[in-house]
Amino acid sequence: MRRIIRCTITLVGAVTVGSASTHAQEPRLRGRIPEPARQTIDLLLDSARARGLPTEPLVDRALEGATKGAAGDRIVAAVRRLTGELETARAVLGDASAADELIAGASALRAGADPDALAELRRSRPAQSLTVAASVLADLVAVGVPVDTAVSAVLTLATAAEDADYIAFRRNVERDVALGASPVAALGVRLDAVAEVDFGTGAGRTATAPRKP
Amino acid sequence: MNRQSDAALVRQVLAGDSGAYGELVARYRDRLGRYAMRMLGNEADAEEAVQDAFVRGYRSLHRCTEPERFGAWLFAIMVNRCRTLGAQRARRQHRVVHNEDILARAAVGDTAERHAWRETLAWALRQITPAHREAFLLKHVEELSYEEMVEVTGASVPALKMRVMRAREELRRLLTEVERV
Amino acid sequence: MSEHDDWLAQAVEILREPVRLDPALDRRVMAEIERGPAPGRPGWLGLLRRPFGGQLALTSPLGGLALAAAVALGVLVGRTWLAPPGTEPPSAIGTMAASGAEAVQFVIVVPGATSVVLVGDFNDWSRTATPMRPTAGDGVWAVTVPLEAGRYRYAFLIDGTRWLTDPSAPRSLDDDFGPPNSVVTVGAT
Repeated sequence: MRRIIRCTITLVGAVTVGSASTHAQEPRLRGRIPEPARQTIDLLLDSARARGLPTEPLVDRALEGATKGAAGDRIVAAVRRLTGELETARAVLGDASAADELIAGASALRAGADPDALAELRRSRPAQSLTVAASVLADLVAVGVPVDTAVSAVLTLATAAEDADYIAFRRNVERDVALGASPVAALGVRLDAVAEVDFGTGAGRTATAPRKP
Repeated sequence: MNRQSDAALVRQVLAGDSGAYGELVARYRDRLGRYAMRMLGNEADAEEAVQDAFVRGYRSLHRCTEPERFGAWLFAIMVNRCRTLGAQRARRQHRVVHNEDILARAAVGDTAERHAWRETLAWALRQITPAHREAFLLKHVEELSYEEMVEVTGASVPALKMRVMRAREELRRLLTEVERV
Repeated sequence: MSEHDDWLAQAVEILREPVRLDPALDRRVMAEIERGPAPGRPGWLGLLRRPFGGQLALTSPLGGLALAAAVALGVLVGRTWLAPPGTEPPSAIGTMAASGAEAVQFVIVVPGATSVVLVGDFNDWSRTATPMRPTAGDGVWAVTVPLEAGRYRYAFLIDGTRWLTDPSAPRSLDDDFGPPNSVVTVGAT
């Protein structure tokens, strides 16, 4: 809700303030971002808006930098980087993607996921939101799962899992890791459990029976 | 002499007295060792898993949020280590384990019949899948409730009940087959 | 007793027999732990990610339990105080009927703090918009925020100066400004 309201404010601002010579000013940045960084960020927001990218995550990123006392050029660099990630996310997830999907997709890209992996995720879940799936991908990498393994797991679950399943899956992996399991092992075990497939090691199946007691 | 509680020992360790962990090791080595031995089937792997579990338990002791339940918390780590080690071993071509030394030690004072029964049982346990073996051991040997098993394994109660049931059926079938040979 | 119970009872009796491990195992364990870091001390790489320098007053819900970092405290609360059946921190604990947003409760334990503020993507990273309230004593702070489906980054600001991540939530990887953030993902309802 809050995001919708803020987007509306931003759009209204763009329409009323924007002109050939002046660019839209994001009111929330005023007084919080040092000049001239604020002006640069406004230009970046204009550019993003013109390309149809969501600007809210860019504003959030700038405000985070301001709250944490980052220098202006660092804030600008962070906003620029996130713009690129959102653009890549949209390119692979499609123009019709929701802003939240792009935000989560950008997080997955930052975690190291290949854009092709996100595209495959979209193909696997054409009718469902990718917000949670992409977000869980990033979260798995954050707990130490190698990115290729995390991608593979998220894609494995893609056709059948609901959002709640993804969240439960991530939570279980995190718990196992906290209990001492390696991230890869935890992921493997939880995937097996989801797939209702036993551990599949087939340990000892070739052993011969001992003599009759 | 008063025996200190697990929780008191955990606090001592967290306060910097790493030596207090030795008492916890002494308390739980046998239970962990038994589970690892039954799960992994050989002494070398079992000892590796137990040592690993204790060390990991120490390193992450600050995450043991209920020190009075240290034993259960440590056991969950043990179960995980056995899964990991078991999977690694399986990927490296499973070696058929037949540790005469262990059998000999365990069999001290045994009758020949009991020795043979033990050997058969160890063989049968190795035939079933690790997931079934794990569920069977947790339920029947470690006597965990299904709720505790959920905590340790992350699987659901129905899934665990199914595994335990299948494990029992498979073990019974295997043991019966051997009897008939 | 049935035949079924018979074999099972015999098997269990055997399997419950003690197993004797190498007596030197204990020494090996102790030697290894002495070589490595103490609990909760992840080494210098991990220390870089610690939210602040261990100035917590140890008046935790565990009484005298020494804690290396607030992380352990947060997990404690996550399990013992926050988590009624079906929820985990931070967790969707209900649906806001009018808006379709989820009510997500955030909890952190910071003994000795005089103020704790929840700061994140959902409140313009404001240092004042979402103060947390002390709850149940012992340094437990909580607040509930309505969130729509999405991925949100956040952190806790302690006494206006120190940043703290949520020990019970995933860590954000896209941190551009130093103090790390946590992530909460709210699924579509």
